[in-house]
Amino acid sequence: MTVIYFIGALVFVLLNVLILVWMERRVAGFFQERVGPNRIGPFGLLQTVNDTVKLIGKESIIPKAADRAVFMIAPVLIFASAMMLYAVIPFGKGIVFANINVGLFYFVAVGSTTTIALLMAGWGSNNKYSLLGGMRTIAQIISYEIPLMFSMLGVVMLAGSLNLSEIVNAQKNTWFVLLQPVSFVIFFIAATAELNRGPFDLPEAEQELVGGYHTEYTGMRFALFFLSEYANLLSISALAATLFLGGWQGPFLPSWMWFLVKVYFVIFLFMWVRWTYPRIRMDWLMKLNWKFLLPLSIINILATGIGIKICQYFQAAGR
Amino acid sequence: MNGKGLIKGLKVTICKFFKKKITQKYPEVMPRLPSRSQGSFTFASEKCTSCNLCADSCPNGVIRVKYFKDAKGKRLLEDYSLNMTYCLFCGLCVHACPTGAINFKTDFELTCFKKENTVLKWAGSCQKEDDASWNDTALKMASAE
Repeated sequence: MTVIYFIGALVFVLLNVLILVWMERRVAGFFQERVGPNRIGPFGLLQTVNDTVKLIGKESIIPKAADRAVFMIAPVLIFASAMMLYAVIPFGKGIVFANINVGLFYFVAVGSTTTIALLMAGWGSNNKYSLLGGMRTIAQIISYEIPLMFSMLGVVMLAGSLNLSEIVNAQKNTWFVLLQPVSFVIFFIAATAELNRGPFDLPEAEQELVGGYHTEYTGMRFALFFLSEYANLLSISALAATLFLGGWQGPFLPSWMWFLVKVYFVIFLFMWVRWTYPRIRMDWLMKLNWKFLLPLSIINILATGIGIKICQYFQAAGR
Repeated sequence: MNGKGLIKGLKVTICKFFKKKITQKYPEVMPRLPSRSQGSFTFASEKCTSCNLCADSCPNGVIRVKYFKDAKGKRLLEDYSLNMTYCLFCGLCVHACPTGAINFKTDFELTCFKKENTVLKWAGSCQKEDDASWNDTALKMASAE
């Protein structure tokens, strides 16, 4: 059964990544008054297939001075952790691969292992740009993980559970984005930084670091990095939809379709932000996190706690 | 207020997102080029005075003006050719021409299979003695005198 679940998740991820890469290029084009890839297949949908086949055909080069084992394990590790995230996400009513009670905790814990893989890639390449990219990744992802988790705490306090399915059930009447708008904004900003997407794409800044940690990677190994990047985008968007936009809840349409609509809406938001803002400076990145997002998220938790207590008081008084 | 610019930026990009795209799908749809774009050349041989200013102004020696002189020493154009292999499309010849005989047109599809086809050729309005047309014009000119 586990194998079937895994294959199901893999097919889902691969299909969506194919569409996502196409969508990213297309949306980027639209934001810049271009049309983007539109030649291969209907609306250019097969462009990604074309690129993937090309990437698979490329020679996989390992630099002589690289730390061979670390260099080779890193892409596998990053893709494995990206895939593991899909175990706990409720895709629809009753469609969840592993309905565990600490789903959100599992998601965050597995998600943070990506950092190690990125540092391994940066370190193992034996290249100054890659190492710089890896170092930046560590600094950025570890700092932004704190407000990311704190922003989730508000939702957890309201739902009273870490189980993602129960969090979805708790949003039957009101989406948590309405009750927790501040934490949604914090979540969104921190998630953008976690995903190394613009305007926080310092770890892989093409112009200064020639690609950061994946500078030395070619062929299928590079494809794995690319794949996991978009797989992470998909999983974080799925988490955002689950925590704040009511997950698979919605009228008329089947539940999985509602879920996909919400996920793609969040992904569009990410793309919108990426193709609007220029890259932020490293010190500003840190300042934004430690001096703004972190205090704000703590205040948000405090306010949520007070709000819950007041509600409980009035409910008790009304009874 | 802080963050106002961020919202404004998002507004600008979403407006661009729904705007009509400026990309023209070239092989299927011919692009609408501005009338002054520097593509291929048109040449009006009846306007040409064979003054050779265009050939002199050309930095690459693309233009070859072949002419001869009639009895009164007036230059008559026999043959005009542009070796497009070396052309920069700088437009100096068009600027130099006093009568506006050579001009740009918007057609830019200049590729061809054989190198000799890259040379654009125009016959002049006059040909030398052995040619019938030359005799006609000579006769006309004589009668006009």
